[in-house]
This record gives sequence, structure tokens and C-alpha cells, in this order.
Amino acid sequence: MSRAANLDNIAPDDAVPPASPPPHSLPPKKKKKVHAPSIPPEIPNPPLPPSHSANLRFRQKIYELIKGKTASPLSAFLARPKVFTFQAREDSEEIILVLRRHWFTNLHWIVTAILMSLAPAFLQYFPILDFFPANYQFIFILFWYIITFAIAFEHFLSWYFNVFIITEERVVDIDMYNLLYTKFSEAKLSMIQDVTATQGGVSQTVLNYGTVLIQTASEIPVIKIERIPNPHLVVQILQQMRAEEEQEALDGRLQ
Amino acid sequence: MMQDYTHYIFLITKILAVIGSLIYVVFALVVVRQVATMSKNVSDKFNGILIAFSYIHLLAAILLVFLTLVVL
Repeated sequence: MSRAANLDNIAPDDAVPPASPPPHSLPPKKKKKVHAPSIPPEIPNPPLPPSHSANLRFRQKIYELIKGKTASPLSAFLARPKVFTFQAREDSEEIILVLRRHWFTNLHWIVTAILMSLAPAFLQYFPILDFFPANYQFIFILFWYIITFAIAFEHFLSWYFNVFIITEERVVDIDMYNLLYTKFSEAKLSMIQDVTATQGGVSQTVLNYGTVLIQTASEIPVIKIERIPNPHLVVQILQQMRAEEEQEALDGRLQ
Repeated sequence: MMQDYTHYIFLITKILAVIGSLIYVVFALVVVRQVATMSKNVSDKFNGILIAFSYIHLLAAILLVFLTLVVL
């Protein structure tokens, strides 16, 4: 009988019986005196085991699904990032996927920032500041450029820090709505009940981005991830992760 | 007579510019704080550059206050 099976039959409060020798084992031999060296030989530390479920076929399928996807820090679809991490992450928790909004959703503020940067060049055709002396005009233009930078920077921060993370244990949604309001929500994979992907409109269909809705049994009933790339692939990955969790629960290896 | 009005207009503009640039410094401080906080929550290779940009932005805002006071 395996050790795991023995442990399964023992209640938590029971005293653990001493290990008995196997029925057909030979009587214990007398220990020979061996001149042991004074310093025990150093046993190299075994390498850390991989994640408890890394070898499962579900995980392999997930790795195949995200194979070849970019790992650039400025990507909207980060597969198994090496450097990326988040505050509430556990030590051995593997990050499978990090998602941000599709790059196309940034186009409006990029175009706005470019147009705003070019606007002072047109002042010679529209002399609206000519009433003021040159030093006033200089300060106004400086104001204009610094505000342009602030608009672009704030939009970029909003995109960069608005991430949805899928780890081997949970999904984490970090939202930065603006500079003064952020939200952090998470749900265990085992709590996920339903995952839906929606794509609508020309740009979403052509550029393959859309919204994923995750219904959970946790405190936050719905997690909505908007305008992310490859929404159907994300749904597939989440389905595989859920299947893996269910398999782990069946195997009694749920952490 | 017209010159008097112009003088007042420029004075009001200068006061508004100083107030605006001071408010902007507060905004830049909020940006620095927010970037630092979010970088703790989510960390990646690019965070250092963002923090540097937020500080450059703050310095530019402070410089703008000085310029507004000196140049105008």
C-alpha cells in the first residue's frame, strides 16, 4: 500500500502508528561499525521541483497554445513572462498570461498627441497669440507641450498598468482607471464558472480583439476584460486551466 | 487708456499662469506617486523608464513655475 493511501485512511486526530516492517522482510542485520569520516559528504541540493502540475497534459496543451507569442514588456499579449511579476504573487506561482488592451485602442490618444504637438507650428497661419508679447507666447507654447506630454503619458500609464493576469492558481485583474482610482480583483481558477468571449465591429473582427467575460462564484461575480487581443484563445486557455484544476481536485492534489 | 487695460490683462494672465503652473506641479507629484505605487503592484522591465519619465515631468513642471515667475 502506498504511503498516500495510508495517510488517506488516517483521521487527522488519530495517532500515527509506528511503521511496521514488511511481512516478508529479513531480520534486521547487525550494524557493522564503519569508520565514518568526521565531515559528512556534502549532498548537493536537489533542484527545485517544477510546479506541482507542470507535467500535466493540460498544462502542456496551454504551453502549445501560447507557443510563439511575444514576451516583450510592451506587448498586449505576454505569454509566460520571465521578468513580469505582481505584488500579491506567491513565490512558486507561475504566470501563464498577462493581457493588456489591444494596441489599436491606443490609436486615438496617439493621434491626438501627435496633432497637439504639431499645433504650434500652425500658429503662423492662425495668429491667435499675437496680442501677447513674445515672452508670454513662449510660456503658452511651453504650457501646451507639457500638457500634451501629460495627456499622452497618462493614457500610456492607464494602458500599461491595466493588466489582466492568468496564473496557474487564479486570475488577477488590476485596473487603473485614472491617476487617482485603481482596482485590484482576483478569483481562484476553481471559482470560475463560465467564460465567454465576444467580438463585435469591423476593427475587432479584422484585428482579432474583443471582450472576455468571466463569471465566478467568488465575491466579484463577473470579471470583464475589455478589448484584449485573441479573446477566443484566452477562453481556450482558461478552459484548460479550469480542467487542470478539476483534475487536481480529483487527484486530491489541490493546494 | 488702452495701455492701462493691456497692463491689467497681462497682470491677470501672469497670475493665472503662475496659479496654473502651481496646480500642474501638484498634478506632476500625483503622477510620480501613482507611478511608484503601480510599479510596486505590477513590475516589469519597463517600469524604471516610466519612473524616470515621471520625475522628468515633475522637474519640467517645477521649471515651468520658475519660468512663469521670471519670464512673465
